[in-house]
Amino acid sequence: MARPDPASAAPSGSLPPSPAGSRLDRSVGRVERGLVVGLGVFAVVFLMLPVAIVIPMSFSGEQLLTFPPPSLSLRWYDSFFSDPRWLEALANSAVVALASSLLALTLGTLAAYGLVRHRFIGRAALEANFVAPLIIPPIIGAVALYIVFAKVGLLGSYLGLVIAHTIITTPYVVLVMTVAIAGFDERIEQVARSLGAKERTIFCRILVPNLSSSILASWMLAFVVSFDEVILTLFLFGNRETIPKRMITRLELQIDPTITAIATMLIVFTVGALGLVYFLVRRSGRSLLDARH
Amino acid sequence: MTANAAPLPIERYPRRRARRARRVAAAVGPLFVFMLVAFNLPILLMLGWSFSNPTPTLNHYAYFFEVPIYLRVMANTLRIAAITVLCCVLLGYPLAYWLRGMAPRPRLFVLAMVVLPFWISILIRTYAWIVILGNNGLVNRGLLELGVISAPIGILYNELGVIVGTVNVLLPFFVLPLYASMARIDDRLMQAARSLGAPQRVIFWRVFFPLTTPALAASAILVFILTLGFYITPAVLGGGRVPMIANAIELLINELPRWELAAAISTLLMIAVIAFYLVARWVRRRGTA
Repeated sequence: MARPDPASAAPSGSLPPSPAGSRLDRSVGRVERGLVVGLGVFAVVFLMLPVAIVIPMSFSGEQLLTFPPPSLSLRWYDSFFSDPRWLEALANSAVVALASSLLALTLGTLAAYGLVRHRFIGRAALEANFVAPLIIPPIIGAVALYIVFAKVGLLGSYLGLVIAHTIITTPYVVLVMTVAIAGFDERIEQVARSLGAKERTIFCRILVPNLSSSILASWMLAFVVSFDEVILTLFLFGNRETIPKRMITRLELQIDPTITAIATMLIVFTVGALGLVYFLVRRSGRSLLDARH
Repeated sequence: MTANAAPLPIERYPRRRARRARRVAAAVGPLFVFMLVAFNLPILLMLGWSFSNPTPTLNHYAYFFEVPIYLRVMANTLRIAAITVLCCVLLGYPLAYWLRGMAPRPRLFVLAMVVLPFWISILIRTYAWIVILGNNGLVNRGLLELGVISAPIGILYNELGVIVGTVNVLLPFFVLPLYASMARIDDRLMQAARSLGAPQRVIFWRVFFPLTTPALAASAILVFILTLGFYITPAVLGGGRVPMIANAIELLINELPRWELAAAISTLLMIAVIAFYLVARWVRRRGTA
């Protein structure tokens, strides 16, 4: 799916906390305050409800989707791991997400470096071009690539899907890395240059090690975006399946609670990975959370 | 970076300039070439397709505007997008305002809950609404038990279900930029109004709210744009009964192969999205200037 322009959202992570005297109750009356808190709580519950529902549902022993589940079992986990087609979809998802996120990471980090450290004609246009896939609905890219891939014989191929996923994941890498590189002291690079270091050495030995947490964050982001992607995959992957593609084709046919088991595993995996990264690199924890605006 | 550019000081060092150009090309070049070949060119080709029959023609566009079903789908999409924006404003503005007034620790907690859904597959979140909104779902059983209704009401597989899904997916996109801009507002402005004797309601509507309108408008347009391209939510929660423009395009590609018409509709969608995006950017720039 498309993602919003982060320029508007990026600063939220780096804002100074508002001064202590600025509490809500000072600016609106009691009734309004109750309304604001009520709607705010409702909005948060509304946002979290799907996540909170899916996890217990996955342990249901029934075919029918009722909440709370009348009986408990692991049958939907069993039905996932005993179905070779789900496992094949999982393998496809992992391969494509890994390949496209690494490609996006390489292309995006290099490009972000060029965009931040150099002033040149057409720089703003180039940056807009690089992040355009966030705004342009994926269905448009899917149609365009479908027509082109049909001509060059890339429909249904891994290469084709990796290319397509790289297009939509690179903008995230560019955005995260642009902010990270802009926040890195350029004088360190200048010192290295004055000591005779080559561009490649500066990039690989100074920038990459120093920005490793942001690089990790943007790689994870790219991986998750590719792993979740379904529209391009529906159009371009032919008979092959990924986890989301199999989920949506199953959903359109019937209610299959196996999906709740996969969903739970994905949620646990994602939150676990997020938590781990947050723990490992506390400093970049905020930018990780904020990255996906 | 041409040789006959204006005589900048750097002009005196042609070799240094060439080196700089090489560095830029080495960094930006790979992604530029990739995007050119894999994104820009295919979209241009699609544009060309939308005008070809194979001779140049406007027939596909004419067809779109002549056949009522496509206009109906377009109107449907615009209406759903508008309602989604409205719901996001009604829920998102209080949420952002509430966040602004919070102490840092609980705020971080609530922010995490707003951001977390980003990391969880849209499909999963959409699927969960089937459980919640279905005939045997949470909402219907709750209403039955309370005696509000006597038979399950249809919330799923109609426009209402789709809107619940789109609002759920897009609310964070609305709230986060809005909150970011609210947090930037200087508290002393409200304090000044208070010291001049303005009642709280007046302070909110005459001081605070006007300061947030640029971000509010930009976020609203953003949500509107993103809804226009939605595919998954209408496919799953609409049960095929609430076609939006992206679903129509999919149908034209995969079911009744009419690629040129699909290309024409995609082009129209793209023009609409880019136009709205430019408006949003202009609004935001004006707000921060």
